[in-house]
Amino acid sequence: MRMRTRAAYGFLAPYLLIFTTFWVWPIVFSFYLSFLATRTQPWRFNPAATWGRLVIDPAFLNALKNTLVILVIQVPVMIALATVLAVLLNSQLLRARGIMRFAFFAPVVVGEAAYAAVFRLMFNADFGIINKIITGLGLPPVAWFASPTAAMALIMMAVTWRWVGYNAIIILSGLQAIPQDVYEAATLDRVSKPRQFFFITLPLLRPIILFCVVLSIIGTMQLFAEPFLITNRGGPGQATETLGLFLYRQGFTVLNFGYASAVAYTIAALAILISLANLWLGRSAK
Amino acid sequence: MRMTLGRAALALVLATGSAPAFAQSGEITVWSWNVAASSLESTIEGFNAQYPDVTVTVQDLGNQQVFDRTLAGCAAGGAGLPDVLSIENHEAEIFWAQFPDCFTDLKELGYTEEIASGFPDFKRVELEPGDAAYAMPWDSGPVAMFYRRDYYEKAGVNPEDIKTWDDFIEAGKKIMEANPGVVMSQADLNGDTEWFRMIANEQGCGYFSRDGNAITVNQPACVAALEKVKEMVDAGLITAADWNEKIQANTAGTVATQMYGGWYEGTIRSASPDLAGKWGVYRMPSVTADGPRAANLGGSSLAIPSVSENKEAAWAYVNYTLGTNEGQVTMLREFGLVPSLLSALDDPYMQEPQPYWDGQKVWIDILGTLEQVVPSRGTPFFGDADGIMNAVQTQYINGGFDSAQAAADNAADQIAVVTGLPIAE
Amino acid sequence: MRSKSASTFRRSIALHAVLVPLAIVWLFPIWMMVVFSTMPENAIFSPNIHLIPSNRFWENFLILQADTDFLRTIFVSVVVALVYTVLSVMLTSMAGWALARYSFAGKGLVLSIILGTLTLPYFVVVIPQFIMVARDFGLSNTWFALIVPPLFNSLGVLFMRQSFSMMPAELFDAARVEGVREWRIFLFVGMPLARPTLAALSIILFLASWNNYLWPLLINNRPDMMTAPVALGSLIGLTKVSWGGIMVGAVLLTAPMIAVFVLLQRHFIAGIAAGAVK
Repeated sequence: MRMRTRAAYGFLAPYLLIFTTFWVWPIVFSFYLSFLATRTQPWRFNPAATWGRLVIDPAFLNALKNTLVILVIQVPVMIALATVLAVLLNSQLLRARGIMRFAFFAPVVVGEAAYAAVFRLMFNADFGIINKIITGLGLPPVAWFASPTAAMALIMMAVTWRWVGYNAIIILSGLQAIPQDVYEAATLDRVSKPRQFFFITLPLLRPIILFCVVLSIIGTMQLFAEPFLITNRGGPGQATETLGLFLYRQGFTVLNFGYASAVAYTIAALAILISLANLWLGRSAK
Repeated sequence: MRMTLGRAALALVLATGSAPAFAQSGEITVWSWNVAASSLESTIEGFNAQYPDVTVTVQDLGNQQVFDRTLAGCAAGGAGLPDVLSIENHEAEIFWAQFPDCFTDLKELGYTEEIASGFPDFKRVELEPGDAAYAMPWDSGPVAMFYRRDYYEKAGVNPEDIKTWDDFIEAGKKIMEANPGVVMSQADLNGDTEWFRMIANEQGCGYFSRDGNAITVNQPACVAALEKVKEMVDAGLITAADWNEKIQANTAGTVATQMYGGWYEGTIRSASPDLAGKWGVYRMPSVTADGPRAANLGGSSLAIPSVSENKEAAWAYVNYTLGTNEGQVTMLREFGLVPSLLSALDDPYMQEPQPYWDGQKVWIDILGTLEQVVPSRGTPFFGDADGIMNAVQTQYINGGFDSAQAAADNAADQIAVVTGLPIAE
Repeated sequence: MRSKSASTFRRSIALHAVLVPLAIVWLFPIWMMVVFSTMPENAIFSPNIHLIPSNRFWENFLILQADTDFLRTIFVSVVVALVYTVLSVMLTSMAGWALARYSFAGKGLVLSIILGTLTLPYFVVVIPQFIMVARDFGLSNTWFALIVPPLFNSLGVLFMRQSFSMMPAELFDAARVEGVREWRIFLFVGMPLARPTLAALSIILFLASWNNYLWPLLINNRPDMMTAPVALGSLIGLTKVSWGGIMVGAVLLTAPMIAVFVLLQRHFIAGIAAGAVK
């Protein structure tokens, strides 16, 4: 038994070394950093320049607002769509199942830089195919990169395109774990398909949908590459600047590490709080 | 040994003007962007005539990335930095404030007061904190209006008569009416504050006071500039377009005027060669009839990181390119980079009529305003202030504020939060 | 009976009426990526609509290769993703094995730290990681910087622990009775049994590393150590740039992953379903 214990430490040690160096220690160090004024050398203790600034900095509040807007609009839409897609893709009646799944799951493997480039071209105001289609329908062209609202909508569409399949995969695996005889019994009892969806499928999927919601919340809180690449660093103005992008700007274009650390901790705290609130709501709704 | 030889060779060069330097050898890498990068390449030939053993490689990384990568490199103790860096003047002070050790004091390499005094003071103030000189002035950007002669003529507009921004608006309406599908001008309203900064600078206003210790963005002159920008957007005279879109519009002939620093001459000329003879230049209008009509936008400098392993060669290249008329005029001739070296302004090339510009002596017209430019200090907080103004400008244009004053006050408050500086009375 | 099949038919029509247009919309950007990559520049920026691939892929590739040494960045990306995947699978399966099959002092603590910090956003550590690797270690622009710090990812540990826990203890006890060493039991009994999990984990880790954007963006400032996504992202911001070339880069970045997805769909989906990414 004693030898086995020592073996356990041997197995664990290499990973723990990395885990401690590049994850646990930075978490602690980041907290310390968040109290330092780092605009000029040498760094000095001055929480007013970091935590104090946070509560009154309009640029931070703007990024927070943008992130929450995405959270409130895009996440529910995407999760609802993913649930519907999962149910439809699971249908026995579906033809060309392979191609259908491919269509929705393929974006999961497309890297941010690649899809950002395509979206920029597709939504180009003057020559983009989307505006050509819109004007072809007799509607006025949309200023995708010039109008704050349109740019925000573009970011949300892009994120939904990229991530809906990912969530659908998770929900689909949950669906496939539901025993078939539950539905057979319901069908025998003449329960209609839509009623089966709302009264059998959804309640059984609740934990897995909540899991998706929590993942999406954490993802949205650190949304970075899309506004960085698609709307050109949060443009127009800072209309699509997210918390992730704001942190990047503070951390790596003005190198205000202390303030950026305070922002990072705020992002983490918000992600955890909102996730917990969701889990709690999800539970109590039962 | 190499050091001493290098110094000796340098002394020789300085003493005799342009004697061949035998001691410099090796490879140096330069980071720059766009036309600036091309113009640095254009001086290599002349440089190699004097320094045949130095191989110069210019990498065009794009403006934002040169900045980002330089900061990241300095934060990493100089990792990955090249031998010569391009730095925009208004962003320069953030580097010296954060990483004084990242850059070589050019005075150690032979940048004497005599050489330095060949540049105007407003180009030097940001580059020489304390006793050190971290960068050498490169180009300047006296603002000019670049216009399509044919479009103006068709509308019967004489650019000489455009003296105020209100004149510009009136002319714009006529020009757009006479030339369907053509917009009067374009501004990067979504990603930049260029128009605001140009007009504000013309009116003697900037984000910060000249000593860099107070916020001045809500002073009347800045407010007036912001107001004019919105007036022109509201009148439909300027539409949003970024750098690339402007070039596309220039080439496609869908824009009548571009306002930019003098360095834009080269962009128009090289990107739209088929339009030779159709473009002209006139002075920027003012807010009031007798108001000032000169401003500066952009302008950069070259610095040598302290990690460079070939500082003497790097300095030789920098000093040839920026410190000699030959280097500066080559960049002007090839790519329209406007010199800030004062002696270059006396070069005969400045007096030549330019065929692309329908024989107009554009350099006299553009550079004639240089002396009247009011200095506008970048400070280490330029990036913060400009980011804030960019957002406020977008909000203001989209109706988020009742007045330009309210928008400017809001910007000033935000800048105060970020910088801790007071708002000037 | 008849009415039942009629209703099934109606439902089938409705199902496809919803899914087929949606599927077309979802495939559209990927299709356009291919189309753009084959078009000359002046056709991309023209008032006409082009939906069919043209024949300029090779020319666009040459432009891309001239703008940035894209083959080099692909090489960097492949090496990083492969080495990262191998190392990460090794480290996390060893740790997962320890946490699944042994009881030892501190086990509860290790597990609770891993679980407790699992949902923390990566952004919490990105700044200290950068300061540590770039400034303190001075390791910017190195293979180490690209590969090692992201190895902290702990989902693999939980994933492997789960897999090892479900194996019956008798399998290993029999080997122990015969005096087989612990590391051999792990390597030759445990690991082969965990093959499906290992496959799923490897694919997910490879994908995550291949597409990783933020960390390689921050820790590199030299072109010869840029990964392909960072190189592509940097081209997007340039002024004098060929969009046809960028699209070739996007295709080259995406195609291998699509191939992996199609060929190894089962493992891939298993990996995502287990929440092993993010």
